[in-house]
Amino acid sequence: MALVELRGVSKSFRKGDETITPLDNIDLDIEAGEFVSLMGPSGTGKSTLLNLVSGIDRPDSGTITVAGTEVTGLSRSKLADWRAANLGYIFQTHNLIPVLTAYENVELPTLLLKLSSTQRRQRVELALEAVGLSDRADHYPRQLSGGQEQRVGIARAIVAHPKVVVADEPTGSLDTETSEQVQGLLQRLNKELDITMLMVTHDSDVARIASRQMVLDRGKFLERESGSIGEGEIGRGGIMQVGVKESGAA
Amino acid sequence: MFTYVLKTLWRHRTRTLLTVTGAAVAMFVFCFVGSVQEGLHRLTTGSDADRSLIVFQENRFCPTTSRLPEDYSRKIKEVSGVRDVMPIQVWTNNCRASLDIVVFNGADPQQIKSTRPLTLTNGNWETFAKQRDAAIVGRNVAQRRGLKTGDQFSIGDISVKVAGVFSSTVPSEENLIYTSLAFLQYTRGLDAAGLVTQHEVLLTDDADPDQVASEIDATLRAGSVATKTRRKGAFQASTLSDLVDLIGFAHWLGYACVGLVLSLVATTTVMSVQDRIKEYAVLQTIGVRPLRAMRLVLAESTILCLVGGIAGTGLAMTALAIGGFAIGAEGATIAFRPSIGLAATGTAVSLVVGVAAGLAPAVQAATVPIVNALRQA
Repeated sequence: MALVELRGVSKSFRKGDETITPLDNIDLDIEAGEFVSLMGPSGTGKSTLLNLVSGIDRPDSGTITVAGTEVTGLSRSKLADWRAANLGYIFQTHNLIPVLTAYENVELPTLLLKLSSTQRRQRVELALEAVGLSDRADHYPRQLSGGQEQRVGIARAIVAHPKVVVADEPTGSLDTETSEQVQGLLQRLNKELDITMLMVTHDSDVARIASRQMVLDRGKFLERESGSIGEGEIGRGGIMQVGVKESGAA
Repeated sequence: MFTYVLKTLWRHRTRTLLTVTGAAVAMFVFCFVGSVQEGLHRLTTGSDADRSLIVFQENRFCPTTSRLPEDYSRKIKEVSGVRDVMPIQVWTNNCRASLDIVVFNGADPQQIKSTRPLTLTNGNWETFAKQRDAAIVGRNVAQRRGLKTGDQFSIGDISVKVAGVFSSTVPSEENLIYTSLAFLQYTRGLDAAGLVTQHEVLLTDDADPDQVASEIDATLRAGSVATKTRRKGAFQASTLSDLVDLIGFAHWLGYACVGLVLSLVATTTVMSVQDRIKEYAVLQTIGVRPLRAMRLVLAESTILCLVGGIAGTGLAMTALAIGGFAIGAEGATIAFRPSIGLAATGTAVSLVVGVAAGLAPAVQAATVPIVNALRQA
């Protein structure tokens, strides 16, 4: 059984009089330890899919099972507990709590778990070390650069030892050099800590760091096992030209 | 997570300070109004108010107009149920309502010592009993006027020497100045030899106050001056009737203060939550339960309210303790005193208002649509 399973997932939005259905009867399997990148034109439902897998949004129909738990059937409180124990979320805009230091931001998810203060401290220190920010533990977000803020966000996402980490455009707000550092970090975390990752990105270069690259277009997944995705392959209404296979039952 | 609440309040310290200050001022007024209410309640209830009677000239209100024969006390003493009678000459600097009323009560020093609930905090009874112009001064008056033992002071035609300062278990007593009866009767301008303003009647344990009051008035009906006898509490309430109405109305001011704190803290908390709605969405995304998010907001509003409320209540208690404030009319005074009950009420009201003020924003934070909130810039 895959770690993440989506079966017949649909989601629609109303925009004025129009109903938009970015996800229409989608199926998806992600195995444990996989690093999946998801690309596609704007408005095709990449972030929506990420939010559904995270349990912060609910599908109109279909089921989502993560690590054996069907998240679509959980109450809001149970979903929060489930996220605390199983999910790490990396935001595009970091979303650190401004009044807390880097250490306290990373510590937040561990406060929701049953850990001793020693265990908590060890985890936070390890997470900060993993992202190379041990020396910035006492700094507030306003005292950090954009790249450092994102690394704190990544440390916060992995500190609770989640089964899945989802990343919504993790390099979207970073310059090229910092973006490359963050890409390297994500790759290293996937390989060294065996963290299952699902990443949404607009950038085909960033998508290439994943072991499986997928494109979501007009409600369907287009997938290639490895290799590169060219910029020209992605566009509204476009279809990948080379080496792709359709997946899902849409 | 509590650190998060405290740091949030500290980070927005201008807003926090303004809200806390507003809550403190409102709770200060609330406690002050409460102390006035308590003062009136103490004056009109309790054993001193219920188990003693005041014999006053019929249809007279201001102490300067009541002139009863001193020897009425002998006839009153013969009435069944009467334990003791203390003739009192009253002199006041102001018959109308005033915040700085000075009331002299002239009576026999031995009777004052044996019947009034007074404790000399300094000075001595012997000097008071022996020296004709000696006076013992209530703690509130001494505080207000800066008097101490050995001082000589004059008000109008009365000039006395302070033989001691006293405290009392009956706060309104602390607004009085006691002299000997003879001294006040022979004061220039009073022309009250053989006359007194009122007789204070102490009852036996089994006496019915209203029945004894009727019997006293009936007994004295044949005398030169008709009397009206009432329980001391009822007499004081009647004397202060105009003020009683005002004080009764003032309790609305107390409620208004509570409403003010509620709206102030609620507004601050609503604004705070709306400003940080994305933060609450982030917290829930990383696994904070909606109920916990709710508790974080409630903690914030409760801390704001409690800190302000306790500060305001503390300031009010301090001001009441050292200010010696009182309001009086026609020789009766209402003392504004701090009390544990008032401090507890102020703190409890702050706590309840803090929770109430945080409810709506707490629900907002707990039920925030996470995805929509995360999209906010």
